[in-house]
Amino acid sequence: EDALLPAPQNISILSTNMKHFLTWSPVMVQGETVTYSVEFQGEYEREHVNESWIPICECSRITATVCNITEDISATVAYNLRVRADVGARRSEWGTLKGFFNRITTSLTPPLMKVIADGYHLLVELQDMGPAFQFYVLYWKKGQESRMQHKLVKEVSSVIHLDTMEAGPDYCVKAQTYVEVINRSSSFSQTQCVRAQGGRSMWL
Amino acid sequence: SGELYCSLPNPRNVRFESVNMKNVLHWSAPEGTGDGVLYKVKYSVYGVGKWIRKPECRNINRTWCDLSSETSDYEEQYYASVKAFLNGMCSDWMETTRFNPLTDTKIDPPMVSVSSTETSISIILTAPEKWKRSPEGESVSLLRVYPGLQYNVSVLNKKTKKRWFFSVSNNTLVVPWLEPGTAYCVSAQIYVTTPLLHSGFSKEHCVATLKDKTA
Amino acid sequence: TAGNKIFHFGPCRIAMSVTEIRSGFTAIKANIQARDPIKTLSILSYPHSLHKVKSSDRCCIIHRLFNFYVDKVFKHCKTEDSYINRKISSIANSFLSVKRKLGQCHEQNKCLCGQGSAEKFQQILANYEGLNVTSAAIKSLGELDILLDWME
Repeated sequence: EDALLPAPQNISILSTNMKHFLTWSPVMVQGETVTYSVEFQGEYEREHVNESWIPICECSRITATVCNITEDISATVAYNLRVRADVGARRSEWGTLKGFFNRITTSLTPPLMKVIADGYHLLVELQDMGPAFQFYVLYWKKGQESRMQHKLVKEVSSVIHLDTMEAGPDYCVKAQTYVEVINRSSSFSQTQCVRAQGGRSMWL
Repeated sequence: SGELYCSLPNPRNVRFESVNMKNVLHWSAPEGTGDGVLYKVKYSVYGVGKWIRKPECRNINRTWCDLSSETSDYEEQYYASVKAFLNGMCSDWMETTRFNPLTDTKIDPPMVSVSSTETSISIILTAPEKWKRSPEGESVSLLRVYPGLQYNVSVLNKKTKKRWFFSVSNNTLVVPWLEPGTAYCVSAQIYVTTPLLHSGFSKEHCVATLKDKTA
Repeated sequence: TAGNKIFHFGPCRIAMSVTEIRSGFTAIKANIQARDPIKTLSILSYPHSLHKVKSSDRCCIIHRLFNFYVDKVFKHCKTEDSYINRKISSIANSFLSVKRKLGQCHEQNKCLCGQGSAEKFQQILANYEGLNVTSAAIKSLGELDILLDWME
């Protein structure tokens, strides 16, 4: 087998909000279509199954230089990842990610949030970020930051009722995501304040 | 065992259909057989070495058999099997996949009752009961079977058409500070996180807040 | 939801995402159980259900069972189906991270093993070794919901 084909380089992980992607630089071969194949290896495979590798069939012989590995990175352990190139019968060596990837390092962004005042009711709309996510919502009467209340929202279903409001003062809300399986939270979203009685949503 | 000549086509799609742990075996008639097919049913507890016949489902012409009583222990798992007979011929025994009552049952929506005052509505939610042998038997709420059971409650303001959602663990919810003389429609769903089970939403129960006496 | 739960086994407290393990198992349950033709024997439930284990023995049994699955079961469950293999890898790696936490409890003497748990675990091993390795491993994998139901 002719291994002159260079192995893919610059292999790296893009991981945001528990969505994990493996990317690499394209292998350039004049006038040819290069395809790539990706494999992963969990800690279990390293320690108990003779360091075996498992192919990701959705990323077998693909022309793109990115592979969605989210489905396979489904435990909080250190994973190895590798990719190789093929052109016709020619095949490169494996290019391996430098260092391991553990989903605990995913970057978590604050949730998109919209606060609504409906009569005397304080409501919030939260972006659905997938089953791994819960939301920690803080709300308080403006000026009474010391008396913040919180609600842990596990099921995101459109408009969620937080509490009732007295007429007059502003009520402020901010939220962060919480991912139980890695026991980490995002930073808080921007604070939004509204007022009862036809209160308008005001960004502060 | 003196089996007849078994070349009759087999019953098809033999499976358990379970709602609130009422576990009923269903199947489809063998292909190409008209009327007159009779069936018999047996079941077994997984890991225990013997098949047990179900006398009430012997030589029946219907295509279901209630095995709720035989599969009521949800700490066990089960198989069931059906054999068809016609004109002296029989089919093979056709089995279900392994049935786990705890994870393979469907849950009905909760019962919802709603009352109102001038500016609030009160909602009482009741989880369905686990199937029981007889009406006099002890009622076991699914709340006891699934301790992590929670409710998603939807409240629709019929005037503004706005819908709010509440997530509650206990079975009562009071929504204060509402508009007098306004219709609100409530429906609720059960969800259990492990094992992951969701009921559908109940049908809507509408109630109107009383009119403002001072207006 | 993610369904991460704090499991209390006596003094041993462990955060575990059972929902991820369950959803991985649910995805392969029908396929794996269909590969197990032996309905008359259970690895985990024969002759007595796990539900008969005394609560004082729970931590030790769970610790030993996680070791059992990691050390003996998953590696012998390779199939010809790449989707099934990937799901088994996902479950195995989740078991590995839980096994570590249970091991820490054990080292801190929070997960003690009494006579009862030793006998039960010996019975499980005997059931396992009574079959050829592949059949025993596939049967054990197919009984994962028995373990999860009992744990919860």
